[in-house]
Amino acid sequence: MALNFAEILTDAQKRGRKRLVLAPAREERFIEVISEAVIASIVTPIFVGDGKVIEKLLKGTSISSGNYEIIDVPDYQKAVSTAINMIKENRGDILMQGAVPHQFFVDAIQDRENGLLRGSLTSFVSLFEMPQRDRLAMVTDSYVNNFPTLAEKKMIVENAVRLANVLGIRSPKIAALAAIEQVNPAIPSTLDAAVLSKMSGRKQFGDVTIEGPLDIDCAVSEMAAARKGVDSVVTGNVDIYLAPDIEAGYSLSQLFVFVSRMPMAGVLMGTSRPVILDMPFVSTDNKLTEVAMAVLLCDRGG
Amino acid sequence: MIRTLDDVIKLAKEEGPKKLAVLVPDDPEFMLAIKKSWQNGYIEPVLIGDRGKMERVADKVEFDISHFEKIFEEDRQTIANLGAKMLFEGEVEIESKGQIPTSYIYRSIIREESKAGSGKKISVISLWEIPELDRFVAFTDTGVNIAPDYQAKVGVVKDAVFLFHLLGYSRPSVSVLSSRREIGGPSDSYRDAQLLKSVAASGDFGECEILEATSLSDIFLGQEGRLSSYSDINIKNLPEILLVPNLDTGNILCKTDFFLNVTRCSLVISSKGLVNIPSRADFSDSIMEQIAMCVVVADRMKGEISG
Repeated sequence: MALNFAEILTDAQKRGRKRLVLAPAREERFIEVISEAVIASIVTPIFVGDGKVIEKLLKGTSISSGNYEIIDVPDYQKAVSTAINMIKENRGDILMQGAVPHQFFVDAIQDRENGLLRGSLTSFVSLFEMPQRDRLAMVTDSYVNNFPTLAEKKMIVENAVRLANVLGIRSPKIAALAAIEQVNPAIPSTLDAAVLSKMSGRKQFGDVTIEGPLDIDCAVSEMAAARKGVDSVVTGNVDIYLAPDIEAGYSLSQLFVFVSRMPMAGVLMGTSRPVILDMPFVSTDNKLTEVAMAVLLCDRGG
Repeated sequence: MIRTLDDVIKLAKEEGPKKLAVLVPDDPEFMLAIKKSWQNGYIEPVLIGDRGKMERVADKVEFDISHFEKIFEEDRQTIANLGAKMLFEGEVEIESKGQIPTSYIYRSIIREESKAGSGKKISVISLWEIPELDRFVAFTDTGVNIAPDYQAKVGVVKDAVFLFHLLGYSRPSVSVLSSRREIGGPSDSYRDAQLLKSVAASGDFGECEILEATSLSDIFLGQEGRLSSYSDINIKNLPEILLVPNLDTGNILCKTDFFLNVTRCSLVISSKGLVNIPSRADFSDSIMEQIAMCVVVADRMKGEISG
């Protein structure tokens, strides 16, 4: 089981190099991350974009002396569709978002006919190294879905569980978060959380325990939970924090980054092959973890 | 300007004791907090709750409650109603939640506001003391409004700005948090942020500044910025007030103090006084600090009512 980002990288290094397709390749900062991934022996890069621009970007970098490939597609939109096709045709293993508007890129991934959807929903997992806990924890969905329905939350859970399993967390514990730990018909998130909790009790998610609704103090602290009369194996031992909606998921992830300063890597789940999004609040140091995570997902899809 | 809990504690000693009604003090941590607050001269408690439980817990924490006013009652809603009535009739200056779900308290305060014809909507303000930051930061509304619309948010911002003015912050900055991001389409919370900015411009909130930033990412990186390294994060960028889009978000964010080295104080500003809203999972020292904060704010509130 990977307990921190360093171990994710170590695990990825055991898998051999995967073909990482960057599209569109037109900004230096992506080249820097990929250079690190090449040095770490986890990827062989394929750059899709304006060939001349790419040659210029690579000049003098450690990549230029090794193995790489350039696919000359100057138009950035076509570069993305070309890259997606390459992945679909198994001419690449991992798709990495380059400098392109997020909505365009996500729409291309989610296109039912031509995209890289695994099922019917993608979701974003913010993966954290938590200093208070000597292992990894996740917050989801923290980027893609606005106000997921119960059926969509079920898929968000399944996506996160798949990621947990890839990380070696065999029986993930999930806190379905809400404002309070009691089921209150006036607070819809508590109803969804209670249903998901019941579904997990009936083993509808396999070897997974979902407890909910839980407010975050009950989720984080077994003692706090005990004082509120909540008895669960999940309290104080959460692997996955399921956010009630995007307002909570997006803010909570960012609070952990900017105020708690917890190292974060983002993982898009629900794709047929690993896809790395370009999130502004993932620090440059942690982008390599995102690539390593994608390598680990190669055998399982996103 | 009151910047830290040390400031608050010093002032609470000077400005106390204030009469405070405690609802359901039948948990040792709560009773211990009352004991310490009384010993420190912050409060003169009125204990409302189940007699047997109250006395057992007082014994457990070695607190002689024989000389305090006590009201014995077991029904939670009746307890909350009694506390709210005492607050609104001026018998106490502060009401404090004990081991009772907040919904009972909010219901009773809303009822008293309605009876008083104040037209005031209530909200919970959760203040954070962050050690690296030499001032308070607040999340609001973290307790009452499940999915506040723009009108409700106007009231929420007014209360928070009012509180910061009381604490001596002449022009608090406000960020209206929203999930608006590069994807996902239009966002109601972002639309509210734009509307609130125009209200602020008209002066309805008093002196304050509504920031352009609607996410922590915007606050710390700017709209086009990227996080290169954690060492670049400047905690001083946090505004005084973070208006949250809904109850779930507010409650989750304000209680992440469990992950952090911060101290939280949550309170409600009613039209007649303050209500202390600790979490039922808080410990005695934290509850005592929250009581001290209420004592100080209550003292400054005399004669001033939030719009």
